[in-house]
Amino acid sequence: MASTRDIRRRIKSVKNTRQITKAMELVAASKMKKAQQAALAGRPYTQLMASMLATLAHRVEESQHPFLVERPVRTRGILLVTTDKGLCGPLNANLFKLVTDIKSPAKFYVVGRKGAQFISRTKRDMVADFQVTDRVAFNEVKVAAEFMVKHFLEGIIDTIEVIYPRFKNTLVQEPTLRPVLPLANLQEFVGHAQAEAGHAKTADTREMLFEPNAQEVLEALLPFYVNRHLYQLVLSAKASEHSARMVAMKTAKDNATKLLGDLTLEYNKARQAAITQEILEIAAASFAA
Amino acid sequence: MPLTLEIVTPEAKVYSDTIDSVVIPTLEGEVGILPGHIPLLTKVEDGELRVTKGNQTLHLAVGGGFAEIDGDKVSVLAERAITEEQIDEKAVEEALKRAEQAMRDAKHLDPNEFEHLQNMVRFAGVQLAVKRRRR
Repeated sequence: MASTRDIRRRIKSVKNTRQITKAMELVAASKMKKAQQAALAGRPYTQLMASMLATLAHRVEESQHPFLVERPVRTRGILLVTTDKGLCGPLNANLFKLVTDIKSPAKFYVVGRKGAQFISRTKRDMVADFQVTDRVAFNEVKVAAEFMVKHFLEGIIDTIEVIYPRFKNTLVQEPTLRPVLPLANLQEFVGHAQAEAGHAKTADTREMLFEPNAQEVLEALLPFYVNRHLYQLVLSAKASEHSARMVAMKTAKDNATKLLGDLTLEYNKARQAAITQEILEIAAASFAA
Repeated sequence: MPLTLEIVTPEAKVYSDTIDSVVIPTLEGEVGILPGHIPLLTKVEDGELRVTKGNQTLHLAVGGGFAEIDGDKVSVLAERAITEEQIDEKAVEEALKRAEQAMRDAKHLDPNEFEHLQNMVRFAGVQLAVKRRRR
């Protein structure tokens, strides 16, 4: 059995760990609340935009805008959204599994330090990495989005896809690969988004009026939509990050508490054993005398 | 048959109610929407949006976005939107001054930043106009 002093030392260190993880849990919890609110607040906006786009899309020719044209895919463009810091459970590792599954040629654009490290470590083709702050501003994501769109238009990449941890709820974050461009099957996508929101749109079959004209509205709406959509995905990733971190820290704290209980028990046992031993020795000595 | 109006910004659903009519500032001037309007999709400019319900009129400042009229449903997708009573005149004036100052000071502002400031200035102007319209 370990000596009481060793056990005491371990108890002390476990207590420290518990304190730190507890503090981190609280921090993550408050950040999580904000991030979740931001992610949820933005949803109606993105959905409404998607439904407008759908109304527009089946009234114009697909070839009218490069975003709508599906072309042979030589190089995929993938935006990988990860965290800057670790200690958030299997969140990043799950994303990296998705990345490893991609066998076709692809260029990577990364948000978050962890992702950048992974891509360069595995020697994949990383074009750029972007930093975003904890409270993501639209402008930060816009830079990344416009950069990718530029490459898309120049033909450096033929798709824009996003790998991110989709925020489902506090306990569940799904690593997801979401295609963003080209928007070839827009109808399908909008149907999907609406099913998720729980309401279907009744189609108005009358002739639609566009001001100033369909082409111009389309040209304004599409880039706007791509930026907003990417922003929403990053927000979702942030909510996932803080949720995952909070859950991971809570587990760590609970484990520390349990370990502390076990160690305290062991310590008391060792102490009691030492006392009993001493009494025995004294008793034996007095008998011998 | 009354219209349903929904005004959504990235931050929140600003307004959602059944209304009688609405006037939307668009790229080609103000558009008044009454029940039975033809389906329409248009670009929304920075400006004043007027909602009429019964004998009450509500004024909102909206900035940049799109509006869709589909059946009896009017959806406005705006970058920014604020109702009249929420506009804080002093705060807006100060923000306007700060933004204008920033635009004057920085000669080599990066274009994104500049655009952002310009939008702010324009929207601040709209907010003031909405707030002061009775004077």
